[in-house]
Amino acid sequence: MSADSPSGVIGRVVATELKPSTPHQFFFWTPQDSPIGIGAIVRVEAEDRTVFGVVTDGFAYSDLQTPMHAVLGADGDPGAPEPPTRRAEIRLYAAAVLRHIPEEPVQPVPLGAVHLASDGDVVAALRMDSYTGGEKPTGVPIGVYAAGGLEAPIYVDADFLLGPEAAHLNITGVSGLATKTSAVEFFLTGLFQRFPAHKGRIAALCFNVKGPDLCFLDQPSILGEEDLRLYGRLGLKPVPFDRVRYYAPYKADGVNLNTLRTHEALAANTEPLLWGLREVLDYAEVLLNRDDVDAKADAFIDFLAERVVGKQYEDNTLPKSFHVRSFADLDEFFRAIFTLLEEGRGSEVWRTHHIATIRKIRNRLGNISTRSKGLVTDDGEVNDLPWGGFEDRGLYVVDVAGIDPLAQDLVFARIVSKLREHLERRDLGVEHVVVFVDELNKYAPADGPDTYVRKMLLDISERGRYLGLVLFSAQQFRSQVQRRVVGNASTTILGRMDGDELALPSYNTLSPATRARLAALPKGELLVRHPHFTQPIFIRFPRPAVLSGREGIERFPPRAELGFAQAVARRLRALDPSLSADPILDLIAGRREEDVRKALNATVRARPDQPLAFFVKCLGREVKAETVAPRPGVRPIRTSGDPY
Amino acid sequence: MVTKVVAAPSLAELRRRLAEVRSVTAASCVPSAGVVRSEEARIVPAELVEPGPLSARPVGTPLPCPENLAFLDGTQRYEVAGYVGAAPLLLAEIAAGVRERTAGITSTAVVERRRLAIARPEVLAAAAAALEGVDTLPLTSEDAVHPLGDLELGRALVDAARGELERRVAALYRRRSSGWLIVDGSLAESPAWAGDPRMLGIAKSHASLPFGGEALVTYLRLPCGFRSNLFRPASRQRAPVYAWGLRLWDWTGKDLFYGLVRVEAAPTAETAALVDTLSRWILAERAPISADVRWDRLLYGIHTVQQFLRATSER
Repeated sequence: MSADSPSGVIGRVVATELKPSTPHQFFFWTPQDSPIGIGAIVRVEAEDRTVFGVVTDGFAYSDLQTPMHAVLGADGDPGAPEPPTRRAEIRLYAAAVLRHIPEEPVQPVPLGAVHLASDGDVVAALRMDSYTGGEKPTGVPIGVYAAGGLEAPIYVDADFLLGPEAAHLNITGVSGLATKTSAVEFFLTGLFQRFPAHKGRIAALCFNVKGPDLCFLDQPSILGEEDLRLYGRLGLKPVPFDRVRYYAPYKADGVNLNTLRTHEALAANTEPLLWGLREVLDYAEVLLNRDDVDAKADAFIDFLAERVVGKQYEDNTLPKSFHVRSFADLDEFFRAIFTLLEEGRGSEVWRTHHIATIRKIRNRLGNISTRSKGLVTDDGEVNDLPWGGFEDRGLYVVDVAGIDPLAQDLVFARIVSKLREHLERRDLGVEHVVVFVDELNKYAPADGPDTYVRKMLLDISERGRYLGLVLFSAQQFRSQVQRRVVGNASTTILGRMDGDELALPSYNTLSPATRARLAALPKGELLVRHPHFTQPIFIRFPRPAVLSGREGIERFPPRAELGFAQAVARRLRALDPSLSADPILDLIAGRREEDVRKALNATVRARPDQPLAFFVKCLGREVKAETVAPRPGVRPIRTSGDPY
Repeated sequence: MVTKVVAAPSLAELRRRLAEVRSVTAASCVPSAGVVRSEEARIVPAELVEPGPLSARPVGTPLPCPENLAFLDGTQRYEVAGYVGAAPLLLAEIAAGVRERTAGITSTAVVERRRLAIARPEVLAAAAAALEGVDTLPLTSEDAVHPLGDLELGRALVDAARGELERRVAALYRRRSSGWLIVDGSLAESPAWAGDPRMLGIAKSHASLPFGGEALVTYLRLPCGFRSNLFRPASRQRAPVYAWGLRLWDWTGKDLFYGLVRVEAAPTAETAALVDTLSRWILAERAPISADVRWDRLLYGIHTVQQFLRATSER
């Protein structure tokens, strides 16, 4: 029998006492030129039963009784001519059962003819028929299954990827070869283009945690013919995301964005992420280390949050009323308290709070604005994600790659918390949000301290699906990620894997051949586990239709860091490209940087039709410095000269 | 592939049927299947075709046959299914096939298989209902029933039937190909084989030796890659052939018969002219080595026929 048998039969099931068929596994042999390989899906036809299986292992052996016979047959010469007859050889494959039709009674796989799966077979084998058809299909393409010249689209069930039945996606693979980021970009493309309308609106929020990885999701890449063909096969358009907004904190200078996406051509949808005291104080526990936040400190923080920040605070003991809106206001407030206590002759308590507690909180909060400078502003200006105004199919990228770990923690914690709050209130603007976090080995490690970020990630993975908050996550070593975070992911994807990682017991459910294939998996191929698939399936996916980080950096090299004035000019020109730099430079020459920064942030946040005019208005009239003339001295009163 | 699979019931099915025949006492002791045909050890002096004295002649280096080669062999197995009185009833399955080698790969060209019931006529009559659809071979013996004697007679009948099936299969193959055909055993069993200029018989058995005395010593001590003179066996079998001894493997330190085969071919001048070339072809067939205890003499092509017939036997 040859592989291209006209009957389509490519093998036969065999069962022996040592290798029997079971309800979940069977063996079959094929000709040597069969296109079968590890991961191929096959169909077994027997009387009254059809069984689908996926090849998990392969064996080849000949009738050679002992290697010594091979030596003798060649007269000890490995270079001896080939014998005239080729030794009989078998290709034997082990397959794991994907599905029986009928499903009941559950019986061992019968002896029968084996066929390569067709498109229809793949749909049936993976139970995709239950969610890709009907009035409300929920299939989302994630790639193609390919084997033996046949190719079939693979869909995952949106109900099991984004909830409510199950949710979350986790991808594991070695750095640089597993194409984790590309895979997520492609999955988001499929999700945005094919997410069923009846399930509502969807948006995605990606944290860019390293380099330029996610910095060019709105820029098209040049795809090869094969990639374009795969897009066509999956019914997707090879286009970049069209509703992308980038957020990045400033650098410490408060005007240059802390991101690699600083090319002028990309400035239109790149804006600063800027938070003030109010935004930070709610998440103070993220920023203060665990030892700091004792009951006394916690009580004082609550006092500040509830009574002081953002409110008009009156206290008879203090010399004036305070309206604390910024770190600067808060510092003034603290100074007033300290002055009061210092003048109070030995009193160490202000409104039941001990001076040491107050000092500690002041130090820690002051430290935040120092360590997170660029993200946290002293002056109260804020530029945040569009809470309540998330767009359907909108992609929001928050670039935290270049900021301090403490600030990263704050960004993660606050954004995820805000997402949850708005989704709970159903006022985010969309019903589903996919949050993509790479480097879970760093942010949700299996060992190490129980950080706030890890708690947030765990919270999303355990409770997010009820809210429509879905975690797409990636890491190099699945074994070193908090078990509950990865364990809650209904869809698990493995790319090219590290051999040591695959040797761990947690991968023993995969056959040795599957593990060997994973260790050498080419780029663009993945192993997918999904609740509907009884066994993991190898898929191939096209390159994402967006620029990769490396390509993007080459095409849109980041601008050199500018001086303060130049950076301000560029930020304004990003709002109105018709502006020229010189008038702006003239305008801010000699002005205090804090004032300019404040005006700039207000302008960026407001996005007015006339940015320059708005900026000028915010900047206010320049108050010229005047030299105060010394007061004339007070003349002595004329006297008689007699001192008495 | 020309295949004839008899539509007879399997031996297992026949056993089930026979269990329902009242006069048959079922037997569960099964003699080993495929017993090698036994021959009487003797010396039958042969006539030298190439002038003597008998000597070891080098044939040259192994040389694969440049044409497609085919291999023919047969298998047999039998078992005692029961007794009627003291007379045994044997069930047998015989098969023969030809596998043809093209570009190093062997595939089945012809195969035939038969199932037989063998017993004294009265036993066959008693079990007739259960034996429907099976070829029957009556054991004709004047002697009184002796179960072991009948078993020997039955075995001889199975041997003969298998030989006949092999000849039939060879004839079927000849209808489709005139290529070289190597047969496991002697060509002298069939005049058609013996006269076929493109058939070679490879006899592994040396129960019947062609020489005695010093010549026998020379014959049995042929070095590896050497052959004997061409000779004409003085056989009691039916057809004359040319034959020669050929050592496939070095026997020293092992046994005189180790790697020694008797090659038979048509008794023609062409055979005499080609004897060294034919020997080189056979030497080339030493490898790969067969997965068989007789691998020193069993050509791999023949072995594949046996494997095929055993693998496809319906038990």
